[in-house]
Amino acid sequence: MSVVILAVGLFSVGLYGVLTRRDLIAILASVEVMLGSATMLLVGLAAASGPIGEHQGAVEATGVLVVAIAAAEAAIGLALVMSVARRFQSTRADELTEVKG
Amino acid sequence: MNVESSVFAILSAVAVCGAVVTVFARDITRMVVGLGVFLLAVAGFFVYWGAAFLGAVQLFVYVGGVLVLMVFAIMLVHRSNDGRPRLESRHDIAALTVAGGLFFLVVTALIGAVPDSLDQTLVSGTDEVAEVFLGPMLTHFEMAGVLLLAVLVGLVIIVRGDER
Repeated sequence: MSVVILAVGLFSVGLYGVLTRRDLIAILASVEVMLGSATMLLVGLAAASGPIGEHQGAVEATGVLVVAIAAAEAAIGLALVMSVARRFQSTRADELTEVKG
Repeated sequence: MNVESSVFAILSAVAVCGAVVTVFARDITRMVVGLGVFLLAVAGFFVYWGAAFLGAVQLFVYVGGVLVLMVFAIMLVHRSNDGRPRLESRHDIAALTVAGGLFFLVVTALIGAVPDSLDQTLVSGTDEVAEVFLGPMLTHFEMAGVLLLAVLVGLVIIVRGDER
């Protein structure tokens, strides 16, 4: 019960950061907070539910996959930020208005 | 209050502090340090729940990889600013409503479905993880490898940019 409140609370804090931050790197950091809390909820609920079925390592394996995908996301995101910074000399999200109608 | 619940409380406090610093800090260096504290606390939670291998992976990949990559990107992007760059946020009631409303919705949806006992831990180690990865989740494992290769190639193309 407390793990649900904690993990969803951390997810909401990260979401608030994504919505309010103006710097692209800070937005990425908030996304990392959201991803971390989601993995936390997965593993915490699995620990609370006790062993399910015959494959007891499945939760941990899924967590490892999530971490690998999150690392790939962070790497691509930071490369895009650097590309944007080189082209626009800025990493502020509200200055990137090239496709604004 | 027994030892387990006090460990849980300490880890929760550290995780919340790290997340709040990550989201609200006005100094970009402090933001990265807050993110590091949060990720360390999450790794601590994994170890606490018995998923020691996942905790080690979290430590290596996030704290050792992603965090260093983030510091690297900050040093490259913000080097032209003199002094320590300030981070701006636009705090408004709409963002607070969305985040708070999502918290309320998900908690009310999940709270009934979760068992109360939290003193159990996972019974898995590297043996079980290896069995799953090389057994029923072999496709996922291979796909993760393909994904990482695609990311590697994509990174080179994105960072190289227009100079060809």
